[in-house]
Amino acid sequence: MFSKGLMQRQALRTLHQTGKKSLTIPFLSTLPQNPGGVKGDVNEAYQPPSPSRIHGSLHWDFQRVTSVALLPLVGSSLAAGGDVSVVADSVLATVLLGHIYVGYQSCIVDYIPARVYGKNHNYAMYLLTLGSLFALGGIYKLETEEDGLTGVVKKLWTAKSATEEKQ
Amino acid sequence: MSMSGLLRTSFTRTALRRGLATEAGQVAPRLKTFKIYRWSPDKPTEKPRLQEFQVDLNKCGPMVLDALLKIKDEQDGTLTLRRSCREGICGSCAMNIGGRNTLACLCKIDPDTSKESKIYPLPHMYVIKDLVPDLTQFYKQYKSVQPYLQRSSVPEDGKEILQSVEDRKKLDGLYECILCACCSTSCPSYWWNQEQYLGPAVLMQAYRWLIDSRDQASKMRKEMLQNSMSLYRCHTIMNCTKTCPKGLNPGFAIQEIKKSMALE
Amino acid sequence: MAKRLSGLQRDVLQMYRLCVREAHKKPLASRPNFLRYIRTEFVKYRDIPRKDFSTIEHLLRVGHRRLETFASPEVKDIH
Repeated sequence: MFSKGLMQRQALRTLHQTGKKSLTIPFLSTLPQNPGGVKGDVNEAYQPPSPSRIHGSLHWDFQRVTSVALLPLVGSSLAAGGDVSVVADSVLATVLLGHIYVGYQSCIVDYIPARVYGKNHNYAMYLLTLGSLFALGGIYKLETEEDGLTGVVKKLWTAKSATEEKQ
Repeated sequence: MSMSGLLRTSFTRTALRRGLATEAGQVAPRLKTFKIYRWSPDKPTEKPRLQEFQVDLNKCGPMVLDALLKIKDEQDGTLTLRRSCREGICGSCAMNIGGRNTLACLCKIDPDTSKESKIYPLPHMYVIKDLVPDLTQFYKQYKSVQPYLQRSSVPEDGKEILQSVEDRKKLDGLYECILCACCSTSCPSYWWNQEQYLGPAVLMQAYRWLIDSRDQASKMRKEMLQNSMSLYRCHTIMNCTKTCPKGLNPGFAIQEIKKSMALE
Repeated sequence: MAKRLSGLQRDVLQMYRLCVREAHKKPLASRPNFLRYIRTEFVKYRDIPRKDFSTIEHLLRVGHRRLETFASPEVKDIH
């Protein structure tokens, strides 16, 4: 049999040029792809990535749980007209942030996959985590020093109607 | 005596009707324009193009496959397409007809001759020639879900493995899949990540073996899907269910897998 | 070297080298046949413009498939 390692390395080198360029993000560096997206022999089965509960079912569970939890949280604060306790408000803000966090993770896995972008995938994930931590700090500040997320929404709402009244 | 007379009259009547039908057909040809994607690997420097063909619908069968074969027989022998059974059971003639992935043998020709019919190969696949896409990756993925019965024990009496009527009912709507790849190639998630995401057709087969009461390898099967790419790239877009030429529901099957894996 | 080669050009050269290397694993008697075949196949598409990326990529893809086939030890000679 011919040297497999050499074949594989060579195979990885092809098809990383323009054909795919229209589909990739222009300013991010990409990894070389397998010719035709096919790895290995025609008769070999596709090899799935190694199993990981956190990236698999738990990630999906967290998405569902947060979205279901948001329904009563958003509903109750809307029904109360914005006058909710600090605890309820901080729970709402945190669950919303968690939901957005896993949602964006899904987006990054979709559009900046590690298969194509390599390290850039990890950088995007770090950036997301950093931003979410900032947002968490912001929520703490909102809850302790101002009147929380619902307060901000309420302010925005009334500000908008105020400008409308002026017109 | 009277019976045979009755038969004879009905026979002559049908013959008459048939004769009239053909005569009427000869009067006015209904020319329908087909625009077909052409690209040949023998001339790789030539860019892919759409070629126009005109077919008289009166002299052609009702399905798009009939028209394609008529074109191949009478107008251009180099037109290349996969086909086999011409009745929607082999899944060979999957292509994109009028913007929808379907089987050419199950897709009726639009009788409106003022509109042209556009035919492309399955989207987002490497084209081998004309309407023939490269399905290597698709079959490799199908192989990876190990689509066969796996058991650690066999029945003691040495006969077949029995299944209750209810358990058999669970397989309805799953086993009919003919792996034409219409659903997978209509899925945007599969377009972006087809190297790793298994796609609706393959996942539906994974589900078919997961819920088979005779199969004992479901733990291993679920373990294979337990990562971010294989299964969870499905975002319930449901293009798969909409396009399936056999009327199956891969989107539902994928959701069922996700549900069964939720508490693992 | 006078000019820097583009990534795709390097790929083609790499492919050629790989083919020649595989040819040298074949029996001595049939080796010239393999080398001749590789040459004719590459010369066939020599005039493709440098910027015709999709065509070159397609040819590389097909070439890899064919190399895989011919590289198997069962293939002893080529005509």
